[in-house]
Amino acid sequence: MSYWNGDNNEEVTNSTSTTQNDKVLITIAMIKSKLYGINDATFKDIQTGEELVTIIYFSSLIEKLTLHRTVILPLLTQKEELVKFADVPAQINLADIVSTIIEGNTIVYFHTKNIFAIVNTYSPPMSSIIGSDTESSVIGPQDAFTESLQTNLSLIKRRIQNTSLKNKDYIVGTETNTKISVVYMEHIVNKDNLDKVHKKIVDIKHPGFNDISILEQLMDDHPFSPIPQYLATVRPDAVASYLLDGRIAIFMNNSQAVMICPISFFELFTSPEDAYNRWTTASLLRTLRFFGFFLSVILTPTYISVLTHHPEMLPFNALLNLQESRGKVPFPPILEVLFMELVIEILREAGTRMPSKIGQTIGIVGGIVIGTAAVEASLVSNVLIVIVAISALLSFLSPNFTLSNSNRAIRYIFIVAAGMFGLYGQMIAFAWLFHHLLTLTSLGTPFMTPVIPRKWTDFLNSVVRAPFFFDKRKSGVANVQSKKAPPIEKGE
Amino acid sequence: MDKDKFKVLNRYHVVFLVQNVMVGTSILSLPNRLSSMGYSQWWMPLLFGVIANIVLIPMIWLALKYRDDHLFAIHEKLLGKWLGKSINIFLVAYFVVIIAAVCASYIQLIQVVALVDRTITGPLIILLLMIIYIVNGGIKSVARFCIMAFFLTLGTVFILKWGFVEGEISHMLPIFNFNAQEFYTATKNGLMAVGGFELISFYFPYIIDQRKALKHASLGIWLCVLLTFLFTFVSVMFFSEWQLKHLIYPVLNLFKEVELSFLERIDVLGITLWVFLILSTTAAYLWAAKRGLDSILSTAKSAHLYMIVIAVYLVVQIPFMQEFQKLLFERIFYVMYVMFVWPILLCIIHVMKPKRTRG
Repeated sequence: MSYWNGDNNEEVTNSTSTTQNDKVLITIAMIKSKLYGINDATFKDIQTGEELVTIIYFSSLIEKLTLHRTVILPLLTQKEELVKFADVPAQINLADIVSTIIEGNTIVYFHTKNIFAIVNTYSPPMSSIIGSDTESSVIGPQDAFTESLQTNLSLIKRRIQNTSLKNKDYIVGTETNTKISVVYMEHIVNKDNLDKVHKKIVDIKHPGFNDISILEQLMDDHPFSPIPQYLATVRPDAVASYLLDGRIAIFMNNSQAVMICPISFFELFTSPEDAYNRWTTASLLRTLRFFGFFLSVILTPTYISVLTHHPEMLPFNALLNLQESRGKVPFPPILEVLFMELVIEILREAGTRMPSKIGQTIGIVGGIVIGTAAVEASLVSNVLIVIVAISALLSFLSPNFTLSNSNRAIRYIFIVAAGMFGLYGQMIAFAWLFHHLLTLTSLGTPFMTPVIPRKWTDFLNSVVRAPFFFDKRKSGVANVQSKKAPPIEKGE
Repeated sequence: MDKDKFKVLNRYHVVFLVQNVMVGTSILSLPNRLSSMGYSQWWMPLLFGVIANIVLIPMIWLALKYRDDHLFAIHEKLLGKWLGKSINIFLVAYFVVIIAAVCASYIQLIQVVALVDRTITGPLIILLLMIIYIVNGGIKSVARFCIMAFFLTLGTVFILKWGFVEGEISHMLPIFNFNAQEFYTATKNGLMAVGGFELISFYFPYIIDQRKALKHASLGIWLCVLLTFLFTFVSVMFFSEWQLKHLIYPVLNLFKEVELSFLERIDVLGITLWVFLILSTTAAYLWAAKRGLDSILSTAKSAHLYMIVIAVYLVVQIPFMQEFQKLLFERIFYVMYVMFVWPILLCIIHVMKPKRTRG
């Protein structure tokens, strides 16, 4: 600020002289050569009253009106006004200037005084804060994150107004230079976890990040597992409650989802809506989601096992019905099931990729036509249609979309196991699944917490959601440092 | 993951490692093995529990003297390198045969009950692969699997309801209706049902709270004995003496008595669910065998694990004379009884040995 104060001329000369060497090196031509070939890099010379000023910016990142209001108008009328909110670093080098421009700021270069001022003018078109389609809820807050890091952080800071909410920024992506922000509650979070996150992020050498899910996969403890080991959510209320529990949230610029770590397997089945429902309803729905996952994995394989290997397990009447329904089907049950499961996959995939209106039509028409026609053509039994449909629906019960995708992948393992060895194969597959879940870790914390290693209090918020007055402690997954927030000193 | 850390087993791990390794296939046939005692057999599991608990004390005492060594290392320290290593080689061979015996008897059951008219090769291979997968995670991984297996299979206790309701409580009396010979036969055949806890000598160095290991291991033993007792009790109530003598797997027949409107032949479900218990038992033995081979060859390599599993596969699959194999699998459990008293001998050697040469 002092540069512009006429009374402090001496100070101006002092400060410029200390950084003279740096500044002398940087010329407009050098910046131009750095930004050569970028069409929207704009260099504009403006002759103000007494001197020539050059402003440099990326026109694609800055709205014209913002530029006019914050830079051009003050330059022409009241230069002091401009400098009041401009950042005039004492020392600056060429790389800093270029990265500042890339970030969407405007550089104002005063030729006579040889000073670079930075004005924050970043104002690209952004989507507004609206509800989320992927994680919608009936009750509770309806806002969702957007693609802007600043907006997303503001959504959290609006919810947690506490000075111990800290964030640490990193740049990831060797080519894209994407900004990410690691957010945590300083007095609660486990410092070891924070160190692990830091180490993992620093170690990542990946050219580009379009979404946080890529970072999530790169940070996985077990990258070959089909199960997601971190939670990605687009809901600010969910992130806020996880932060309060001592977890770490990672925000990424240009990504709508926010990553939570560490998490437990049970938390993949929790929806923020559970907190707003009565505990009874919430527990019921959560139990349904949890067991739905396992049920969805075993329904169709059991059909294969029972029909291929253990028909004696069914009561006579049920077996009779099933045989009647399957009577004309010429294929063995495993082919029948694989055929129907693949049809469902195709329908789902086609439905997702098509424009929404056509997608719906495909879903309904395809479902009905293929469903009934396949039975009439004796390709599959109608009992199987029901089972496949139920298991497909069950797989979507989980609020976590990545988990429901892994659910389908796991189901094929069970189908093959059941086809080969019946119930025995299924049990071995189960042993594999359980043991796999037991060995998984999320940021070094066992994934199957609270079951193993146990922390009894965690059961109150696992498959069931106990009333809030029972659930006073932070969860064991977070492994928190302190339980109480520091008192806020209130003025008289 | 946990392989790098040394002390990894907490108290829950110890309880369930002891408990779950004890439950193998023998519980299914226990009432038949005890049949020489007729109806008086029902309290035998409690006696076995007492024996196991008494035998456990010298094991823990010895282990506490050598806190960072498993039994293989203790052998070398107490008996000298050559004798120690020879005993260790014998022990590893014993483990291989025991794993083979457990796998073979289970797979044969699967073949009889669930996968009729199928060769055992496929089921055996996937069973062994699964065991390798569990053991690869280290002893903590085995312990975690044990806890999981316990809670998943606990539901099978529910099937006792039918046997209990339809059984005859008067079968319990008279209690002491047997002679010494019958008692000896029953003990000889039945004591193997509590075998498995002796593995604590091998994973003892990995226990965090070693002082309380005795308490936790005893808890595990009695948890297992309680379950074994329940199964024997209900079998005695439900079956006649003739049936107990002639049904090889009475507990499996108890499964068959379950009457549900939507499912018949619960035994198929029960016996396939049993794979969790088989996996936890064999995984623990395999882990111990791998440690043994590591200490014999003085290097820890994952190849040792595969060598042992291949040996197990060969023992089960190579067309021995069937009679010999049967005899081997039957007799190998007597070695287990030697394992029970072996620590007592080692304790004596430890006390006799001059102090300066102790580990």
